[in-house]
Amino acid sequence: MNKLITIPEAEKGLPSVRTDLGLLQWISSVDHKQLGIMYLLTALLFFVAGGTEVMLMRIQLMVPNNTFLSPEAYNQLFTMHGTTMIFLVLMPTLIGLGVYMVPLMIGANDMAFPRLNAFSLWMTLFGGLILYFSFLDGGAPNAGWFNYVPLSNSNFSSSKGVDYYCIGLILTGIGTVTGALNFVVTILTMRAPGMKMTYMPIFVWMMLITAFLILGAFPALNAGLSMLLIDRQLHAHFFSPSSGSPILWQHLFWAFGHPEVYILALPPFGILSEVVPVFSRQPIFGYRFLVGSGIAIALLAFGVWAHHMFATGLGNPVNGFFALGSVLIGIPTGIKVFSWALTMYGGSIRFNTAMLFATSFIVEFTIGGLSGMSFALVPLDWQLTDTYYVVAHIHYVFLGGTLYSVFAGLFYWFPKITGRKLSEKLGRIFFGMFFVGFNLTFILQHILGVLGMTRRVYTYPDLPHFGALNMASSIGAFLMGASMLVLFWNIWTSLRKGEKAGDNPWNAWTLEWYTSSPPDPKNFEAVPPVRSARPLWDMKHPENPDWKHHH
Amino acid sequence: MDSFFNPASPGSEAIHHLFVQFLWIAGFVFLLVTGLVLYFSHRFRATPGDDREPRPLHGNRKLEIGILATVTGIMGIYLYLALQTMVSVQAAPAEGQQPDLVIIGHQWWWEARYPTSGAVAANEIHIPAGKKLLLEVSSADVIHDWWVPALGRKMDVFPGRKNQVWMEANEPGTYQGVCSEFCGAQHAWMRINVIAHSPEEFADWEQQQLKKAIVPQVSLAQQGADLFADKPCASCHRIEGTAAQADIGPNLTHLGSRKTLLSGMMDNTQENLKRWLAHPQKVKPGAHMPDFLFTDEELSALVAYLGSLK
Amino acid sequence: MKTMQTKLLMKFFIASEAIFFISLIISYIYYRHLSDVISITDNHLDATSTGIFTVFLLASSGTIWWGRRGLHQGKPKTLALGLAITIVLGAIFLYGQGREYAHLIQDDITIDRNIFGSAFFTLTGFHALHVLTGLVILCIILGLTLAGDYQGTDSAGVASAEIYWHFVDAVWIIVFTVIYLIPLL
Repeated sequence: MNKLITIPEAEKGLPSVRTDLGLLQWISSVDHKQLGIMYLLTALLFFVAGGTEVMLMRIQLMVPNNTFLSPEAYNQLFTMHGTTMIFLVLMPTLIGLGVYMVPLMIGANDMAFPRLNAFSLWMTLFGGLILYFSFLDGGAPNAGWFNYVPLSNSNFSSSKGVDYYCIGLILTGIGTVTGALNFVVTILTMRAPGMKMTYMPIFVWMMLITAFLILGAFPALNAGLSMLLIDRQLHAHFFSPSSGSPILWQHLFWAFGHPEVYILALPPFGILSEVVPVFSRQPIFGYRFLVGSGIAIALLAFGVWAHHMFATGLGNPVNGFFALGSVLIGIPTGIKVFSWALTMYGGSIRFNTAMLFATSFIVEFTIGGLSGMSFALVPLDWQLTDTYYVVAHIHYVFLGGTLYSVFAGLFYWFPKITGRKLSEKLGRIFFGMFFVGFNLTFILQHILGVLGMTRRVYTYPDLPHFGALNMASSIGAFLMGASMLVLFWNIWTSLRKGEKAGDNPWNAWTLEWYTSSPPDPKNFEAVPPVRSARPLWDMKHPENPDWKHHH
Repeated sequence: MDSFFNPASPGSEAIHHLFVQFLWIAGFVFLLVTGLVLYFSHRFRATPGDDREPRPLHGNRKLEIGILATVTGIMGIYLYLALQTMVSVQAAPAEGQQPDLVIIGHQWWWEARYPTSGAVAANEIHIPAGKKLLLEVSSADVIHDWWVPALGRKMDVFPGRKNQVWMEANEPGTYQGVCSEFCGAQHAWMRINVIAHSPEEFADWEQQQLKKAIVPQVSLAQQGADLFADKPCASCHRIEGTAAQADIGPNLTHLGSRKTLLSGMMDNTQENLKRWLAHPQKVKPGAHMPDFLFTDEELSALVAYLGSLK
Repeated sequence: MKTMQTKLLMKFFIASEAIFFISLIISYIYYRHLSDVISITDNHLDATSTGIFTVFLLASSGTIWWGRRGLHQGKPKTLALGLAITIVLGAIFLYGQGREYAHLIQDDITIDRNIFGSAFFTLTGFHALHVLTGLVILCIILGLTLAGDYQGTDSAGVASAEIYWHFVDAVWIIVFTVIYLIPLL
């Protein structure tokens, strides 16, 4: 079955850009490993852009009544920061890790549709570039990443920014949907012989569930974006307050937007479920509960969108229904947190950088999850929504959750991708700076929100504590920014001089560690028999294989 | 600014109470998770060079079910507390009940209309203390959000739609609020001041608001009144008792009696008013009042006139 | 294996597309309830003529099935004939849509006229775009068939094009019901 997929042959590892074909070979590549790397580079490009935007914003917010940025500039920056980080950084990062790792983890030689895979990448990249082209054509979108109408209608947002927003997001959305289709077919049809669904690594499970979430959620966004673009360009009336309905945009957007939160959360849950067991030297605690709770989250994710709309004046019955859904989705999420913590029990824990990020994730994500509960509890939402408390919450979820897991995954899989380990010394410095900077920045923003600072303000009056808290928050942000330089330096030097990793530096148990590092263009000649979720453990420990413990 | 940690109304008190309950439970969960992670990190940490493989543990079904039950229980408590508070804070008004106060959001200021008396105010909204008021909120342009934390819940303000929300101040005092839904360039300066009076004081204030604008007595202010009529001012603003009868910008009939200008952006002083009239787009970029290029004399006259409108 | 994968891909793709159309259809129904503009305006629609053109589209589902069955039996000529008839039927349907559009625009009902125009042209326009895409795909496959590309009894391309074409048909049945039939009840 593996033999059916033909991929370009080469001597060893991935082609360098210095060979005669060089860059051309990368641009024309359909190899999932090259595409995975290009996804990560795309994300890195936009990460630098989105990070620069937020640094400017934090300079503006350092002191009250600041005039460093004009209101219009600030509004464009925060809109682009949110849109970039969600659609052009976190999604390509997670999809890129999936594109690289999923075929290796299931013992396949490529994705099911290699050319479609390349198409997905390029759509993502070009959609992002089109969004950024708006800066050169009269101004970036300025109505926030969820772009509420009628503010985003042409009579209130007359620059072309929102048009670029619609077109850019539709294009990246097409790339995301085709990517998701590829994951579904790959995972369902190309697993190594013997790998039942219940033997799949949890990361693969989470990518599968995420792919279904994408297929279900993005069409609602695309419908909304199409209607908005038609409103703006052809003067239709979908979202006009007089003859259409502004609230419909909110329903369509959040019918996408809340599943999107889980699209950005489930793959990180998968990464955690790989990293924590390997460095704890214990199998994951509660495999079935973790997978089952992932599926439960995906199903519930489509029934909670209106908790973003509790302040729009819905009646108590509707509020109650969506509060129930939002509280229910907390149950599987809570289970996952305990599963990771309990995986450490009875282990022999190796605290390298990957594990430091993974264990911190458990704590930071718990904070993000708990602060999220205050938006499920309707009356608290009526005070806290659209304040800095929300800003703190989403960053605890997307940085304390998603980004921590990406860093854990990066330190864990970098040796597989490049053949060399990242420097542990620089890694620890990076972790320390990022951890302090992150918590300083965002824990204080909870307080700012409770004190009454609303989000998306380009400046604020000199009220008690506002200046000091914002100053501290900005300092934390700069520390995070500086820590990224340490990470980039670490990657740069380790690529050249890092310690050689060998095939399986962490003594891990899933199939990607069975092939060489970096893997040959053809991933596997053969894979060991898969009779449990930890085939390499079974191979090395014939006296006590996992499959003996299946009930 | 008074947060809902200094509640001044029954609704805010209820939400504050719920938040404290929420924090206790959340704190417990946080300490439990952090405690487990820290304890396991310490207890099961490998010493350097220790390559032993511990005996693999393959889950514990009873513990898994216990976790499921515990988490479900916590969520159940949360839901119960939330629904209980929700029903008390957002009680449906009686059928056909007329609002006590109509609030209209504009880019970027607030209009307040008092239907029973016909009084009109902008940005500084006066109410009688100790009375549960029914507010009807809507918008003239984009979505805004009415939020005075100490006096009750926030409520989105939609164009083409009338939302209702309760507001009450237990005691007289000034309560700050702010627009809480992003509404464009000057969202940051769309602040609210609610001034709660004793019922008698409120009645006096309302009577004062219903009066027509005073006719200026000083010659400089008279010049200002003439300018106001000649220049484009009157095409957007209303001053009762004069020819200015437009309702696009705030009603200026009693501008001089307000404490702040431009939705809480600055104190209502002669200097600030002059600075604003001289260069609206410099003071509040994006605001819907263009730069008019007044001469210095014209500015002084306008300021003298507008400042006299107590 | 490849055919199975491609068919699976197409099935999940149309599932996702279905949600896109469901979003638009729900919006249409929502606007119908929101204002009476739609019920006032939709009597400009010509249900009889569109109903006749609908029959052409539905018939084309049968002809593509017949053609693909021909391929299964090792008769690529049947496939070519089936595809050609399907393309003609699909084109006739699109012609019918064009007639309906011209008729409405003559009555001064356009996408920017009112909410009915916006919702009607967007929903039917996206469907027509899918029909057009389908026709392009079918033309390519017809060309490949005539060039003798399909020698076996099965083909990933033909199988998935057929699934897509049935989907476009099914969507139209719902759209036609919602826009044309329900107002007649």
